[in-house]
Amino acid sequence: MATIDHNKELSMCGGTTPPPATPGAPASIKPPVELHVCMGLNACKGHDRTGSNNCAGTGFCATAQQHNCQTLNNCRGQGGCGLYGDALQQENPGNNNCAWQGSCAVPIQAERFSTLGSNKGLSTWKLARQLFEKRMREANRNVGPAPFECGPPQNWLVTVLGSYDSCGNSGDKRCSFGFNNPEDNAKALCERKSE
Amino acid sequence: MIHQKFFGEKPEKVTLDNLEEALQQAIEIEISTIPTYLYTYYSINRAPSQQLMINTLTNALLQIRKQPPYNFDEATAIALDISADLMVFANKAGALIMSVAIEEMLHMALSSNLKQAVAGMPVLNGRSPATWPAELPGHQPPLKINTARLSMKQLETFLNIEKPMKPKQKNLKLRRAYIPYPTIGEFYEMVVDCLENNPDIRYNTHSPQLVPGKGYYAQNNIDTIYYDKQHKPVFTNEDNSGDLICVADKTSALDAINLIVEQGEGQLVKNAPYLDDENNLIFSELLRYDFTPKEGEESSHFEKFAEIYQMYDALETRYDSYNIENINFSDLFVTNIANNPATTDYPAHIAPVSDLINGVYTYIFVMIEECYRKSGSTQYETFMFGIHKSMIFILNSLCGDIMKLKYKTTEGIEYNAAPTFENYPFSPLARPKSQLQNLYKAAVAAYPSISYLGDRINDLPDVDLK
Repeated sequence: MATIDHNKELSMCGGTTPPPATPGAPASIKPPVELHVCMGLNACKGHDRTGSNNCAGTGFCATAQQHNCQTLNNCRGQGGCGLYGDALQQENPGNNNCAWQGSCAVPIQAERFSTLGSNKGLSTWKLARQLFEKRMREANRNVGPAPFECGPPQNWLVTVLGSYDSCGNSGDKRCSFGFNNPEDNAKALCERKSE
Repeated sequence: MIHQKFFGEKPEKVTLDNLEEALQQAIEIEISTIPTYLYTYYSINRAPSQQLMINTLTNALLQIRKQPPYNFDEATAIALDISADLMVFANKAGALIMSVAIEEMLHMALSSNLKQAVAGMPVLNGRSPATWPAELPGHQPPLKINTARLSMKQLETFLNIEKPMKPKQKNLKLRRAYIPYPTIGEFYEMVVDCLENNPDIRYNTHSPQLVPGKGYYAQNNIDTIYYDKQHKPVFTNEDNSGDLICVADKTSALDAINLIVEQGEGQLVKNAPYLDDENNLIFSELLRYDFTPKEGEESSHFEKFAEIYQMYDALETRYDSYNIENINFSDLFVTNIANNPATTDYPAHIAPVSDLINGVYTYIFVMIEECYRKSGSTQYETFMFGIHKSMIFILNSLCGDIMKLKYKTTEGIEYNAAPTFENYPFSPLARPKSQLQNLYKAAVAAYPSISYLGDRINDLPDVDLK
C-alpha cells in the first residue's frame, strides 16, 4: 500500500490552525506617521510635529528631518526643492523617489522660489502645497488651510527653530537694499501666477 | 606636470594621429578654467553687511575735506546708494562667474563624452594645473592664468581665456607638447576639421557617457541667480542654453563642440572694435561696447565677463569720484586673499584644511572618471551622491570655512586663507576615500568647526583609483 509523507508544517484540511512558526509578534503596533517636509503638508490629523493639528494640511511644522541642501534627505518624499536640481526634480517638492535624491532644504521657507522648470521664479512652497492638495483630492480627503497662506516665512522659521537657512550663496532671501519693501516682494511671490 | 606626449614637430592641425591627444587637451583646457573661475568666485563676498557698509561709508564721507562738507543726511543718502549698488554688483558678479563655472563643468563633460566616443577613456584625475600660476594648455601666445581675487586684472585674464576668434593665425610655433591655438574656438575648429575630413571615424556608443535626462546638469540654481536693486531675482543662464549631449556620431560630436564654442565665445562680431588685427583685446574699446544680449538669448562667457568688467569699472570710477580715503573700493566686497596660494604657504592650523579641500577637489575627478566606466544606477549614484554632494555641499562649505582663517606670510602680510585647488596625490596603496577620511580627521583636529562635514564625507561613494 502506498504511503503518503506527512509534513507536520502544513495545515491539513479541517482541524485547528497550527501556531505560527516564529516567536509571537506584538498583538498590535503603533502605525508609523507619514513624514512631511513643511507647514501645511501633513496628511492627517495629529501628524504635525507637536501632534496637535486637527486636520490634514493644517500642521505648523515639518516632521521630515531638517536639512539645508540637496541630497541630504533621509528618504522618499522628504526632500525640499527650488535651490538645485534639474527641471523634473524641481517640479516635485516633497515628492522625491528615494533617500539622497531630494532636491533641496527642508523646511521650505515662503521666500524660496524654483530656479528651473515650469515653476521657475514661482513659490516652491505653493507648488508643494498644490501637489499635496492634488494628492488629497485624489484620496477624497478634506484639507484645512495652512497656518500661513504661502508657507512659513524665513524670519518666522528662525524664531521657531533658533536658526535656519537653506544652502546657496545668493544672499538673503528676505531683505531690503533700502529701495524695496520685503513684505511687498513676499506678497508678489505669493500671488504670482504662471504666465 | 601635464602628461601629454609629443605628437609632431608642427602640430598646427588635428589629425587622426593626434586626435586622442587633442581631445585630452580639450578636457584639460576646460578643467583648467574651473579653479581659475572658482577661486575668484570665492573671493567675492556675495552678501556683505549692508548696514556695516553704510556706517563705514557715512563716516568716511563725513570726514572728507570739501566745501561745503557733507552733512549727515547727505552722507547717509550717498552711502545708501553706493552700498545698494555694491550689494547688487557683488551678488551679480558672483552669479555670473558661477554661471560660467557650471557651464565649464558642462564643457568638461562634453569634451570627455567626445573623447570617450572617439578615442577612449577620458583622464581627469591629476589633470588640473599642477601649480599656480599656470598656462592655459597650448594657448599661443602663452596665456598665464591665476588663482586670484576679483579685480580688473583678473577679469582681463578671464576675457582673454574666452575671447572670440579672428581670422586664423598661421605658423604658430610649437612651444610645448600641445596643439597651439590662439583662441579656444580656433582649437575646437581644428577638431571639427579633423572629424569632417575623416567620415569613417567609428564612434563608440557602448562605453558610458554623461548623458541628458538624468538630472546631472541644471542650467540654473540658487547660486546662478542674484537680486536686483528691488530685490527681485534675476537668472543668469537661460533654460534652453544647453545640456549634456551623448556623442554617438559625427552630428552629435559637432553639436557638442558647437555648444562649447557658442557658450564660451558666442557669436562672432564682424570688425569687433575691441579686437585688434593681432587678435589682442583692446580693453578701452571693450569698456564702451554694448554687450546686451537679445531678449531670451543668453550671454556668452566672454559677454558675461565683459559685463562684470564694465560694471566694475563704472562703480570704481563713481566711488573714486567721492575721494573716500583709506577704504579701497574692492575691500568692501572682496576678501583679502593672496594670489596663487599653495598649501605649503599655510601654517599648521590651516594646511590640513587645505589638504582636505584638495582631497575633495581631486576626488571629484576620480568619481567623474568612474562615471565613464560605470553606467546605470552605479553611474547615477556616483554622480548624484558623490559628485553633486561633494561639489554643492562639501567643497562649497569648506571653501567658505577656510576663508574664515587668517595667516601672515613671511613678509608679514596678513591674508585670509583660500582654497588652493591643487591636485591631491592620493597614494595607490590605499583607497582614496579612506585617505579622504584621514584628511578629514586631520583637518578637524586643526579646525573643529568643520566637524559637521564628517557624515557627508563618510556617505561618499567608495571609488578606487584605476
